[in-house]
Amino acid sequence: MKIKVRAFASFREMLGSELELDLPDESSVQELLDALASLNPRFCSEAFDRSGLLKDYVLLMKNRKRLDRDSMNQALEDGDEVAVFPPVSGG
Amino acid sequence: MLTDAELERYSRQIMLFGRSGQERLRETTAFIAGAGGLGSVVAIYMAAAGFGCIRIADCDTVDVSNLNRQVLHRTIDVGRDKTESALQTLKDLNPTIDIQPVQERLDEHSIEGLLRDSDLIMDAMDNFETRYLLNRAALRHNIPLFHGAISGFHGQATTVLPGRSACLRCLFPRALPPSTFPALGPTCGVIGSIQVNEALKFVLGKGELLTNRLLLWDGLASSMDELACERRPACEHCRDY
Repeated sequence: MKIKVRAFASFREMLGSELELDLPDESSVQELLDALASLNPRFCSEAFDRSGLLKDYVLLMKNRKRLDRDSMNQALEDGDEVAVFPPVSGG
Repeated sequence: MLTDAELERYSRQIMLFGRSGQERLRETTAFIAGAGGLGSVVAIYMAAAGFGCIRIADCDTVDVSNLNRQVLHRTIDVGRDKTESALQTLKDLNPTIDIQPVQERLDEHSIEGLLRDSDLIMDAMDNFETRYLLNRAALRHNIPLFHGAISGFHGQATTVLPGRSACLRCLFPRALPPSTFPALGPTCGVIGSIQVNEALKFVLGKGELLTNRLLLWDGLASSMDELACERRPACEHCRDY
């Protein structure tokens, strides 16, 4: 199945603004993130902590709806769009 | 009643929203949290537009490394209190408004005094811990919070209307760790301008506010995106409002 990924802010510089990943059917959000991490080592170190968990301030959205951290095992469907965004905090 | 001098000063925007709109701006007290990169742009455009009272708080002094983006301050101001330098710049720009500089750290003890009689809050902070304080204060006082943040070529902005939209904590449930961030003048210019534009629309009752939407500016691509967001019923800041 094909999943569209939209990256924002510094993640865009690592992953590009939009990409499409081909994943096995019923892959989970976590499996999508793992695939992204293997694509780009800098994204991997910026987005994940040392234990391999997505950093808690990184925002994830599926089909424009916020995904909570307890939805990481949720199965994706062909054509889903997932957005990944590290908020900025400077002023 | 606006004076002749005010009518002349604001004539090009009175074309947009009339004398009554300008009078509404004159009656508005804005609290600007921070006199840094965003605070500079926010304060300058608010003063120029004629917000009647501008209270601006910061606890730092001007450092030479601030000058690439913090347009309130000049080389001659290095070492001065930022709010003193801000007062000078804003007074030179618009002597007809009341500018209240407060050289004080924003924390849970000082915030009530700093916010006294404010109609709206401009978030020009550089960390999420203080932004959460502003968010809670906005909810408590039922006044809008105009959020902006930047890092390098990237920026974000949203508007919080207490009880009616997602609050800052709904959008950002976890604080980012404090860090030294890259900062660029034009990014502050874009985001600070959007914040003031939002405050103007709120006071004038015009247009559509950035509520339940996070606007993202990508200066490398020269593009904007927006992420839709909604209130989180379990939000520890706004669930009771």
